[in-house]
Amino acid sequence: MPITKTDLIDRYLHAVKFWLPKAQQEDIIAELGEDLLSQVEEGEAALGHQLDEDELAIILKKRGSPMKVASSYLPEQRLINPAMLPVYRLVLKIVLLWVFVPLFAFVFLGPVLAFAHPGRALLACCVEYWRAAFMTVGMVTTVFALLDRYQVKFKHADNWDPRKLPRVPGTQDTRARWNHLAGFIFGLAAAVFWVSLMWQRSEFAFSGGTRLILGPVWKQIYWPVLGVTLTGAFFDLLSSLYPRWTRVRSRARIGIDICGLIIAAVLLRAGNFVGIVDGHLSATDLATSVAWFNGMIDWTVIAAVVIEIGDAIHEARSLLRGKSAKPAAIQTT
Amino acid sequence: MIHTNAASSELFDNLRLELRRGCLVVAVLAQLYTEHYGYALRKALGDQGLAIDENTLYPLLRRLESQGLLVSQWREEEKRNKRFYRLSPLGEEVLPDLLEEWRQMTSALERILGDRGLASTPKSRSQSKEEK
Repeated sequence: MPITKTDLIDRYLHAVKFWLPKAQQEDIIAELGEDLLSQVEEGEAALGHQLDEDELAIILKKRGSPMKVASSYLPEQRLINPAMLPVYRLVLKIVLLWVFVPLFAFVFLGPVLAFAHPGRALLACCVEYWRAAFMTVGMVTTVFALLDRYQVKFKHADNWDPRKLPRVPGTQDTRARWNHLAGFIFGLAAAVFWVSLMWQRSEFAFSGGTRLILGPVWKQIYWPVLGVTLTGAFFDLLSSLYPRWTRVRSRARIGIDICGLIIAAVLLRAGNFVGIVDGHLSATDLATSVAWFNGMIDWTVIAAVVIEIGDAIHEARSLLRGKSAKPAAIQTT
Repeated sequence: MIHTNAASSELFDNLRLELRRGCLVVAVLAQLYTEHYGYALRKALGDQGLAIDENTLYPLLRRLESQGLLVSQWREEEKRNKRFYRLSPLGEEVLPDLLEEWRQMTSALERILGDRGLASTPKSRSQSKEEK
């Protein structure tokens, strides 16, 4: 059965309609149909005969595929505001680093070194890596898509001050970069050391039957210490990647120092850090040993407090210096 | 070489599209000082040397209408329902400003091109295409 002229046009319009939003379907299809009929009529008048199936097919093909035609009526859509793309990329990089570096240290290295079947552990870790990557990218993208959907505007984007832009990197930045990288590696190593030393531990047993019993305070501070150490390592990594972000780093360091001081206060308040069990020592020697151990820990914590206060003061001064600094001259090169 | 030509042709098409985009808005608004239905408008613009694809024109008309620059109504003509467009009061208010802006831009462009001896090019790409 041959396809009639209206049959072909109807098929085409129906296919276009499928891709259009419901509210506009009838209106757009009516106008498009009218335009097509006008073109067909004009073609027939020019040729002096009714268009056959092939001629009509050429006209429709020239119009474009139904999906393409329908898409031209749809508003331009985007997942993320193009103006936010640089921020999106930056956040994605930071979050991925934050997810992957600790993941590498605790999920990857740990099992590979500890398990009897490193190959199996490696495979499991690769799966974990992919899952973490997809989840991270998905979550960050969703947040940015929602920001765009609800037209959230960032105050900072409009209220920026050229005088507060980071200075042009110099040789000092290169040095700072390496210092922070060293800080990051040290922080990560400290975190790994803390986990391997203290994970679910209540005592240390030594040869000869001597046991060092840990006070309950160590369980209380286990996660806070790990969190603070990893956060410090993360900001060191960030500073090594972006050495000009001095204000962000200073603020973060002050925050980390405050957290460290709170942990130190909890430790010092608890007092009894360790107890000793040893069958060979007399009660007096045992009491002296316990007092010596606790005293040593006490002084170590106090030393850490002094270092943290000093660091916080140094960072606060850097922040204030940065605030009051005025550009000496306009650099045009 | 073929690859380079294809890339340059695609680049030219994209630049041409960008160049035409704003001009089409001005042309459509100016043409709709008098009422037209879609097909007649397309013909009128084409007859005056500004051919416009229907997949560009109709979405553009809808956008301009949603922005309040055009008004439209369905009416029967020659036994068929057609949608007629014309400039809205807001469109009549905006168009002169838009035309003034366009005139300033073209005269500035003419000056720039004149200063560099580019006011008349030896042969444009579209002319070469037509000759082929």
